[in-house]
Parts: sequence; C-alpha cells; structure tokens
Amino acid sequence: MTQTIIWTIAIITILGALLAVVLYVVAEKFKVEEDPRIDEVEKVLPGANCGGCGQAGCRAFAQYCVESSPNLDRCFCPVGGNEGMQKVAAVLGVEVAVKEPQVAVVRCNGTCANRPRTNEYGGYQSCRVKAALYSGDTGCSFGCLGCGDCVAACQFGAITMNPETGLPVVDEEKCTACGACVKACPKAIIELRNKGKRNMRVFVSCVNKDKGAVARKACSAACIGCGKCAKVCPFEAITVENNLAYIDFAKCRLCKKCVAECPTGAIHAVNFPVVKPKPEAPAAPKPAANVTPSAANVISSEVEKSQTNKKEE
Amino acid sequence: MLKTFSIGGIHPSDSKISKDCKIEVLPLPSKVYISVAQHLGAPATPIVKPGDAVKVGQVIAEPAGFISAYVHSSVSGTVKSVGPRKDLAGNNMTHIEIDVEGDEWAEGIDLSDTLVTAIPEDNKAILEKIKLNGVVGLGGATFPAHVKLCPPPGKKADCLILNGAECEPYLTSDNRIMIERSKEIVVGAAIMKQVLGGCPAVIGIEENKPEAIAAMTAAVAELQKTAKGYDGISVMTLKKKYPQGGEKQLIDAVMGRQVKSMGLPIDVGAVVQNVATSLAVYEAVQKNMPLITNVLTVTGDCVPMEKQHNYKFRIGMPLSYIAEYAGGIPEQAVKIVSGGPMMGKAIANLDATTVKGSSSLLYLTAEQTVRKAESACIRCGKCAEACPMGLEPFLLQKYARHNMTDELEENAVQDCIECGCCLYSCPANIPLLDIIRIAKGDVIKIIRGRAAKK
Amino acid sequence: MERLIVSPSPHLHTKTSTKSLMRDVVIALLPAVVVSVLFYGWSELLVLGTSVASCVLLEYLITKYLLKKACTVGDWSAVVTGVLLALNLPSTTPWWVVFIGAVVAIGVAKMTFGGLGQNLFNPAIAGRVFLLISFPTYMTDWTRPQGFIGGGLDTITGATPLGAYAEGGVSAISEISSLDLLFYNIGGSAGELSAIALIIGFVYLLARKVIRPYITLSILVSVAAFSGIFWAINPEVYTGPGFNLLTGGLLLGSIFMATDYVTSPMSNLGGVIYGFGIGVITMLIRYFGAYPEGVSFAILIMNSVVPLINKWCHAKKYGRA
Repeated sequence: MTQTIIWTIAIITILGALLAVVLYVVAEKFKVEEDPRIDEVEKVLPGANCGGCGQAGCRAFAQYCVESSPNLDRCFCPVGGNEGMQKVAAVLGVEVAVKEPQVAVVRCNGTCANRPRTNEYGGYQSCRVKAALYSGDTGCSFGCLGCGDCVAACQFGAITMNPETGLPVVDEEKCTACGACVKACPKAIIELRNKGKRNMRVFVSCVNKDKGAVARKACSAACIGCGKCAKVCPFEAITVENNLAYIDFAKCRLCKKCVAECPTGAIHAVNFPVVKPKPEAPAAPKPAANVTPSAANVISSEVEKSQTNKKEE
Repeated sequence: MLKTFSIGGIHPSDSKISKDCKIEVLPLPSKVYISVAQHLGAPATPIVKPGDAVKVGQVIAEPAGFISAYVHSSVSGTVKSVGPRKDLAGNNMTHIEIDVEGDEWAEGIDLSDTLVTAIPEDNKAILEKIKLNGVVGLGGATFPAHVKLCPPPGKKADCLILNGAECEPYLTSDNRIMIERSKEIVVGAAIMKQVLGGCPAVIGIEENKPEAIAAMTAAVAELQKTAKGYDGISVMTLKKKYPQGGEKQLIDAVMGRQVKSMGLPIDVGAVVQNVATSLAVYEAVQKNMPLITNVLTVTGDCVPMEKQHNYKFRIGMPLSYIAEYAGGIPEQAVKIVSGGPMMGKAIANLDATTVKGSSSLLYLTAEQTVRKAESACIRCGKCAEACPMGLEPFLLQKYARHNMTDELEENAVQDCIECGCCLYSCPANIPLLDIIRIAKGDVIKIIRGRAAKK
Repeated sequence: MERLIVSPSPHLHTKTSTKSLMRDVVIALLPAVVVSVLFYGWSELLVLGTSVASCVLLEYLITKYLLKKACTVGDWSAVVTGVLLALNLPSTTPWWVVFIGAVVAIGVAKMTFGGLGQNLFNPAIAGRVFLLISFPTYMTDWTRPQGFIGGGLDTITGATPLGAYAEGGVSAISEISSLDLLFYNIGGSAGELSAIALIIGFVYLLARKVIRPYITLSILVSVAAFSGIFWAINPEVYTGPGFNLLTGGLLLGSIFMATDYVTSPMSNLGGVIYGFGIGVITMLIRYFGAYPEGVSFAILIMNSVVPLINKWCHAKKYGRA
C-alpha cells in the first residue's frame, strides 16, 4: 500500500518535472520577440476593438503607436479620446497634441415630410445594395437611403433610426467618432465634425449637388446652393461648390447668421441654449412654406436666438 | 437530344405572350434625350453644343477610351441642351437633348430595303465601320462590338456563336427579328465570321421559338445557295433552360467548353454575339447605318393582347412616351422592368430614355413580383442546384453577411453571373443575389487590386 | 398603382416556399398514415393526434414565450416532425410518452439550436431515440391493437421481424415472405407497416422535386450491398437484402428522415456519402448490435457528420477543374 503511494508520487513528480522541462524548452524556442511597451500601451487602451483608429483592433493600434513613437500625430484612438492618447503618450514617454473631440453628424434632412417618396424599394434592406441599384426611393439621388447600414456598423449603439423621419439619429453621448458609420454610408452623408464649444455646432444638413430647382423639387429642405449663407458668413467659413454649401468647422465661430439666412432651413444649429423669445422681437423671416411645422419652429426659434445673441454682442 | 448547358439552370414559365406581334415602327416624339453612356465602359464625350443642327445618324458623341463607343443622333433637329438628366436608375448622366424637326438623314446611309449579300473583303474597313457606327452588343452587356471582334494576339476564334436563345421570359424582340430580318442576321453573322478568320458560326436558338428556327434555317440555306462566304453557318436548336443566353452557358451548350474563372470566351476560342448585334453589324457594314434603332417588347401578364407590342424604337425616346403610345400603364402593374424579368432593371424613373440596349417595357403585377418576407434557410440546396456556375449561394450569402472576403473568393463568388437563379428558386425568400452581388463586387476589386500590384 | 416598386433583379420568384415543401412532405406521408390508421385503429389515431398537436403547440409556445420571435408554426415543419415522430412509435405508446417525445423533438433537438434550419439532428429521430432509450418497454411493445381492417393477419404476434431475428436468428423469420413485407409489415411501429405506402410517398416527393433521390438510393443500395455480401457468405446466420430493405424503419428513415433538408448534406456527392454511412451503420447494428433496429441511430450518427461532409463536398463549379 505504502509502496503504491510512493510509486505514484514518484512517477507523478518525475512526469511533472519532465513536462516542465518540455514546456520551458518549447516556450524558449518559439518565443516571439515583442516590444514590451505594446502590452503596456494596450493596457491603457479602451479595449473596444472597434477599429475606429484605422487599425484591426486595440492590440494592432498599440503596436502602431509603439512603431510610430515618438511622433504620435497619426495615431488617435477615438474611443479613449484625448485623455486616452495622453495615457498612451505617458506610457511611451512622448508628447501628443490635443485633438478636438468629434462627433458623427448626419447631413441629410430628407425626412418623410420634406422629401416625398417617388417609388417603393422592394429589395434587401441594406443601403449598399440599394445604392448599387439606383438613386433611392425619393427624388433626391444624394440623400439618406434609410436602410440603416450606419446603425448596423455602429459598435457602440450610438445610432438609431427614427421611424418618423426615416433618418438615423446619433446619440452624442455614446458616439465615439470612430468613423465606422462614415465608412458604412454609401452616400457619404455622415461626417465627423468637431463637437464644438459646449457641443454647439452649425452644419449644412444636406449633401445634394443637384441644381437648386432640381434639389428643391426633390426635397423641401435641400441645400439649393444659393450661396446666401456664404455671403452672410463673417468668417469665410462657408464654401459653395457644385450647388452645395459646406461649413468648415475649424473656421465657424457659431454666429448662426447663416442659419437665419438659409431659405430652405438646410443649415442646422444644434445644442444652442434655448432662449425665451422676447415679445418685441421682430418676426422671423418667412421659413419655406412647405417646411414641416416642427422644423419651422426650430428655425424661427434659432433665428430669434441669433437675434438675441446679436443684441448681446 | 437537344443540347443545353451542363450545370444548374431553372425553368420559369417562358410567357412569350407577344411572340406573334409584328415589329411596328414607333413615330418620332417631339424631343429625344440621348444618353452618352449607352455602352459598357467610359461614357462618350459629347461633340455637339446647344443650338447645333443635327441630322439622323450624325455623330454627336465620341468614344472616351478604348472600351467606349460612338453615339449618333437618332433624329434630325436642333440640339437644345447638353447636361445631366436622370437615367433609368435615377442617377444623373449626361444627355443630349434634341428638338425633333423633320426626319433628315445624314449622307452616305443606305435607307433602301435591298438585301446586300456581297461581303466586303477588307476586314479592317469592316471593323472600322462597326466601330464608327457605334455598334455594341445588344444581348444585355452592351460591350462595344468591334473590341470583341478583335481577338487579342495569340488567340484565335474557333467558333462564332450567335445568341438567339432569348432565354429570358417575356422578351420576344430577338424572336421577332429572327423571323422578320433573318437574312440580314445571317449576313451579319457571315461578316463577323469573316472578320474572325473564317471560323464556323452557330446560331443557337431555344426550342420554344420554332418559327424563328425555321426562318433562320431557311435564310441560311438560301444564302448558302445564292451567295459566297456563307459556308459553315448553321442553326442549332437548344433545350429551353434559363440562363441559356448567358455567354458562358451558351459556350458550354454549343461547344461543350467552359470558360475559366475570370477568363474571357476567346480563351476557349469562342466569340458570342447576340442576333440583334448581328443585325446591327449588317446595317453598319452593308448599309452604313449607325446603331440608332433597336426592337423593344411591351408586354406583361396584365397587358391585354391588343396592347402587346414589339416596337422598333430610336434611341433617346423617353420610356414614358413609349408607354403612353402603347396604351398606358396597366392598372395592376406595380413594377416596370427594362429588360427581362430575371436580369432586367426595375425602372425607377419612367422619364428615362431608351438606349441602344433597351429590350423591353415589362409590366409585372404585385402577385408576380412583390418579394415575400425572408425566413430561415432550411438548407434545401435549391439555390446550389439552380446555380448555372455551380456555386453555393447559401454559403456565399452567409460569408457575405459577415464580410469574409477570403472565404468568398475561395468559394468563387467572383464567378457569379448574376443570373438570379438562386434568388428565384429560394423557398425561404432569402435575398441571396442582392447580398452576393455586392460581395462579388468587393472580391473582384480585391482580385484586381492584387493583380495591379504584381 | 400609386408608386412603382424598384428592387434588384430577379423580378420573378418560384411558387415553391418552405411551407409548400413541408406540406408536400406531409402529403407524401399520407399513404403511410392511412395504412397505419387502418391497421392499428383508434390507438394509432391517438398517437398521431397527440404527436402532431404537441409538436405544433410546443413550437408555438417556445417561439412566442421563450424565444420571443416571430412564430414559425405556419411553415408546417412542426407538423412534419409530429407525423414522423408518430409513425416512428408503436401504436400502443401511451399519450404522455408521445408528449415527452415531442418535447425532446421540438424543445431539445429543434428549438434549442435556433429552430428550423439550425438544428443539427433530425428532431423526430432525436425524439424517438430518446424514448427508445428511456422507455424501452413501451417502445418495444408490439402487441397489436385491433385495427379497422385486417385483424387476423399477423403471423408472429408481439414481435417485429427484426426483433424476431435478433432473438431467434434466421430460422425465426423463415415464414415471412417478401410479398407480405411489401404490402403490410408484421408488427412494428406505424410507419413501418407498408413499404408500398412509403414508396408511393417517395415517388410523390421526387415528382414534386421536393427531394433529390441520391440520399435515399444511396442508403438502399448500401444496405442491399452490405447485407448481400454477408448473406452470400453465410445465409444461415445473416438475413438477405430483400428482408433488410423491406423490414423495420429503413424505408421510412431513408425516404423521409435521412432526406430532411436541414440535417442532410447539401451536395449530391455529400448525399451519397451520407447515405452510404447510414446504410452501413444500420446493417452493422442489425447484424451485430444489441438493438434489433439501427436506422434511427445510423441517421443520428450521420447527422453529426453532415457539417464535415458539407465542408468537403462541393458542387462542381463551372470552368474549374
């Protein structure tokens, strides 16, 4: 009995020792030489593996950072943001410039009310499939197709489709500006724009490059390329090209003059503080006749706000 | 035993309702809009400007590249504008708008009905005429005809196949021209055969067109008796199976050879041209007539017999004009297709105009065409059974949904010919082709990118 | 016509749907159902009714309350499972045993994998095998209840031909003629009764292009070949091909269960390999196993190999050697 126990212990011990040696040899022989800093960088990354940085995942991004160190200008983890990049820089012992936080912006205002449907799409519900087939189920061949490829592409659940408007809505809290939706959108409607001061942003919510009359016929809230906004902008932030206005967010100072000027309400201002309209405030310029009531309200209240702002200035 | 292709295929009802409707000539509208993209390849460059007077058959746009084609005015009148207009799919494309005034033809075009059977000897001159007269393949792909008729150095054509299969249900335009213009088609075949170096020519026609088979056989026999250069042309009756008219399938059916993946028909010694292209070649070479007309079928289950038509149209006529002339859009139609029901394009914009390759205005009813809700794949394998390329669509769509491009390439998604057999036959209504088509594009891009790097 | 529909090609669609395919399978099973009810009477009706009702009800409840997704009862697949399960059980099976079988078939074998199209094993067979292992007494009780016709036709009471062979060897089955087997079997579960009824169903399925013949023929040929070789070696010990083809659940299994879309290979070549496997395993169990019958075990075992077969066997592609 005792002998059995002794034998067992002995055999197990020897076997264990042998295997340990084998393991050691194998581990040594097939060791992958890797910069230990990659592990350290990976530790401070968010671990979402979203690919928003342009790399295959967080580990690949860590490797990319280590390789491009000391110059981290081309490395940015949209999820971790500036804070995260500071941590990465600290690990690598280098400096990194602070980048403006960004957010995904849907540049289409073709709601069901603004943009009447001209046909019914009857194929697979995917923007890519639809875009490859034709211009879409409205008169506008540039606008949102509404099948939600961006919703599917978002790893953070930040995009939802609004069933009433048929357009995607970005949850600013959840959006990490990883750019997956930008890539997913076959119509290039979604853009990453600077979040702006206190999240206040002014942008042209349209990508239609048709001539004014054509664009207007397809969608009552389309940019018709009239150029009024560019004229009124004191900071030269607005350019009109191919019948479409674009606001450079780096130059925009949020004065909102363009918002008031736009005849179709294609320019949107978001997250500006709501100021109670003063009774003596002059009547807002007539919004486009067939703009939906809600959109009209937004525009007129924005106009009033901008006028209030002017007075404050 | 009739020949057919060896893999897959389906048997939808052929619904050739308008097969007995004689070709009628459409009157001219007051305006035409001629697209500069009527062929595969680079859109042509307009060479006219607003205010210019043009005659029928005058060149109004020149090719912009090797794979491109001339575009001619189909009417006489004044150019009103040159600019973007929405095409069939609602996308902007440059169109030349012409106000129609009279019907004055450009010089040098033979408008008589006499059949010219003597084939010019100079092959180069023939090719030049085909090119200058803007002839493109009229079987669907609208590939410039002269390019196809010049095999690359080192490759020789063993057989010219004339595609008279017209395997798409409903379409009858090829059937009609084979009955009404059989001799011209045979002359066209003889011309192309000579250009290709005298290889034999086979005219493949599906068994459901007995009149066309009889007419073509008679035309071949008569021309062989009365004129020179018509030896080696024969008519082959094929079993009815879709997609017999697919280039690769037709080569398999007629010659028993298979084109390698990503290869060209000429690799196995085959050149395939549609019968309508053959007619266009005849007119271009023997009559110096540019390709400005074609035949289009107006049909559908919901179209009464008296409103079924085969029309000879001129390019640039708005589809809405043709629909109106043919008696309006039927009540029950929910979808209008340009082309056959299997591979044609649903029309999003009826104001779009006819192009060289237009072949039909097909009205489909809700019952026929509305897709039913997708349900789970039951792995019945009917899609794989139907696929004429021997692919496994159920597998490809699964990989495609997960963006697995390596697996897609391994399973030959790039070989897909988009014939629609898989989607047609799926009992669970899975949008197989919708998904696979996109994946195919992605994979081909990857393959091309890799080839370019090498 | 208000707005035109626009969709990618093709614009036509076959009239065949999942529902029509499943309904065709049920129609193909009708001859066998009629024969079994005629011979086994009310008790068979009870088994059939319980089985179909519980399969459909379970699928409905599970999709609605457990998985909370669109109800799939409308596709008739639960009905097919119910009928097949019933035809696999002795007509004397108590209703609660049938119900347990349905729970295993639908609840365990089908819905846990994600429902129709996802299951690895044929639900009806999984249910039957579970019952065979759990309730062997009920499952091998072949006492024949009074049917509507043919009450006095049985020659061997209380045992199936295969059971008799397993116990008594070749001598025990010497009295059974092939003709008897073709038209009505002697003892056995409902679906094993009449080979002719099953073959009628097979012809119907082929004519309607619901199934391809490769799997079924591969099973039958391999069973015939395997038993033929052994029989030729020693007819004293081993039963012959005719007996093996017509007895037990071989026809039911090879026509209706092995050809189940979901659990069989997709390619024709794969189907032949799969069928060969089923045939050989069936005969191994019949000749050498503890159980008299092996079709259901063979199908279950081969079900598990299907993903591998699918991986290896692909259809021949155009233009590729």
